[in-house]
Amino acid sequence: MSAAVDQQAASEEPMTSAPGSVVEQLRERIRRLQAAPRQYLAVLRTGVAAVDALLPAGGFPLGQAVELCGEAASGRTSLALRAVAAAHREQRLCAWVDGPKEIYPPAAAALGVDLERLLVVRPPLPEQRVWAAVQLARSGAFACVVLDLTRGVGAAGRPTRLSLPETRKLADAAGRGGGLLLLTTPDAPADGMTRLRLEARGVEGWSVELVRSRQGGTGSRVVRPWSELYPELGLDGGGHLLDVAAGAADATADFQRAQRSALRNGAGVQGQARPVRVPAMSRAEGAREARRC
Amino acid sequence: MRRGYLHLVRFPVQRKVVESPELAGRPFVLVEEARGQRRVAFASTSALRAGARPGLTLTAACALEPALGNFPYRPEAETAALAALGEALLGLSPGFQLSAPEGLWFDASAAHLVGGEEALGSRVLEVCAEQGYRGHVAVASESFTARALARHGARRVEVVAEGQSGRALSPLSLSALESREAEAFSALGLSTLGQVAALPPAAVTARGGAAGARIQARCRGADDTPFVPAVLEEVLEERVVLDGPVESFEPLQFALKTLLDRLGARLSGRGWAAVKLTFLLKLDPSGCLELPLTLARPTARAKLLLDLARHRLSELRVEHPVVEVAARVDEHGEDSGQQLSLGEVPEGDAALEVVLSRLVTTLGDESLFSSALEAAFRPEAAHLPRRFQPPEARRGLGMDLGRPVESALGRDPVAWERPPRLLAQPACLEAELSSSGGMQAAWLNGRRHGVTMMEGPERLDGEWWSEAAFSRDYYRVFFEGLGPAWVFRDARDGRYYLQGLFD
Repeated sequence: MSAAVDQQAASEEPMTSAPGSVVEQLRERIRRLQAAPRQYLAVLRTGVAAVDALLPAGGFPLGQAVELCGEAASGRTSLALRAVAAAHREQRLCAWVDGPKEIYPPAAAALGVDLERLLVVRPPLPEQRVWAAVQLARSGAFACVVLDLTRGVGAAGRPTRLSLPETRKLADAAGRGGGLLLLTTPDAPADGMTRLRLEARGVEGWSVELVRSRQGGTGSRVVRPWSELYPELGLDGGGHLLDVAAGAADATADFQRAQRSALRNGAGVQGQARPVRVPAMSRAEGAREARRC
Repeated sequence: MRRGYLHLVRFPVQRKVVESPELAGRPFVLVEEARGQRRVAFASTSALRAGARPGLTLTAACALEPALGNFPYRPEAETAALAALGEALLGLSPGFQLSAPEGLWFDASAAHLVGGEEALGSRVLEVCAEQGYRGHVAVASESFTARALARHGARRVEVVAEGQSGRALSPLSLSALESREAEAFSALGLSTLGQVAALPPAAVTARGGAAGARIQARCRGADDTPFVPAVLEEVLEERVVLDGPVESFEPLQFALKTLLDRLGARLSGRGWAAVKLTFLLKLDPSGCLELPLTLARPTARAKLLLDLARHRLSELRVEHPVVEVAARVDEHGEDSGQQLSLGEVPEGDAALEVVLSRLVTTLGDESLFSSALEAAFRPEAAHLPRRFQPPEARRGLGMDLGRPVESALGRDPVAWERPPRLLAQPACLEAELSSSGGMQAAWLNGRRHGVTMMEGPERLDGEWWSEAAFSRDYYRVFFEGLGPAWVFRDARDGRYYLQGLFD
């Protein structure tokens, strides 16, 4: 890192004085570039220290298929997005095979995902998901491919269960392409690949258990608070259950207040604002506080 | 002005061999219709050896060589191919002038950029060789000198210094004049251009008139013929007419290679990169099939374009045989090249383009996209799909080692409040409300989920000017057996809806 900083500092030095010195500076920069060790990406870290520590390689290993198994809201998507963001920090490309068509790009961008480098694939037919993921992973053009096999909330039918040949194809594609293949699946796991089981354990947090791994560490589990995945979720502190009825009379559209809030879906008008509670809600909170007192 | 001449010996024959490699070494002729007769316009080397000269009737040529193949000669197609070659040279020369059907002049005034006129000539021949053509180049200050030396000179690359044209031309035979006036000089017993140049100018003018004087001036190295650069076509399109209707992909591949080699060279010459291409297949007896191809990263590399074309067309099923194939560049960008580190090869982009092409072919163009954020209050309208065109990774001297790339939004804490999963359609919840109106539980898919915690609300409303006006109070709710979710209460009907999951 220090070498990189030196290099950056060297690059920002003004190239003044004699032309010979400019050539010398360029030579020096080329020499440093050639001397610097190649940075090979071996793992994609989630940024959640406890989860990274749970994995034998210290993160999701490239060239392998890893399954994130769990219920609908157990943190699978957040972990996958964090792995994608880690790849994007290295300027690598990622792909998301979005089976249920539920990935929400604004939230992904907030987690550090570079939307320009994320290819979203939405196959028209469910049986095309695995094929698309195999093609993407095998190409080697993507550092991380996420295959979302969940059904989506309210969808009818049984959850997709991968057959053994399909699982082998996926693992083989990840190995050939050299990228990470992440599967987010419900409670119907695929066989034969590293598996993490995630579980929502009430408001106190969520748990991750390494169910299967060839590198060891199987059976280890951690329970972490929700704030590690969603710092602003606000449920760890018990939440604030409002008296909706108190504000119901005031719950009609109030465009003047909307303008005061100056918020556009979390991004803010020109990116400068954060959501503020409208006055009606603030009054409701005041009433609640008064009752508590 | 310094100018060069590129002479491609029997260019139409060379082009035919490039298009149909199986013709190499075989006797064949290109035939044109003249006064109701089919006469040889160009002949391959084997055919020439057999005696099939240009101007012979096809019948006479076939009598000389029974195994002689014949193909129609299309002057327009040859001129277009020559112009395409001229465009490919634009990376070395600012302009070119056609001299159909076997050569072209090019502007050599920028030769110092490639290491001199000798090096320019070699580079021009290299570009030709990449496309399968062999030729000769001469650089001089006059059009005639350059052309005559390229066509009749002995060296592959000839450079004539300023003022030395007469001396360079003097050993050439009178056939280099390529005009009827040469016969008059031959009748006088002259055999070289040097001898013509040595004649007294007044006598030549008296006998030969203005034409004779002009020819003698050229032989002395004086030629004021202007250089008129060709006007480039607005639309880049290449076309190959197949010898016969084809029903399989195999013969089409050869045509595609030729087509895309030329297209890639033309793109490179102009400094362009293709963003969107359309392949046109003309069917027999009628009909045309158009196949668009959009690239994630603009490119002018013929090999990559051919790979993509193979993927696009290999599994295509057409009802009728194909008689003509064409490729048109519908959208182009500037070819900024690719900065690679030492020892790297641009295989990554090729793999990306190939897999994208394969997916588009199978899943459809609309199934692949990247997203762009939109400034909108309505959560489901806060992003839009757009074409996947990832930026190039900065490498080499331009990159900043070790410095992580932050996303456009960075880590804005506000945006953490959005769920990573948003339902395509908000799901209506059958909510159990307390006496005060608070939600105690909700039914979803026939299951009851108790509310453990609830945070909010955050009001989002807007679009009051349209039919789709909305006003929602959003809550972050923890449901038993489901997990944290994003729920809103619609002010229009007072009902609760599940819109997202904090998965």
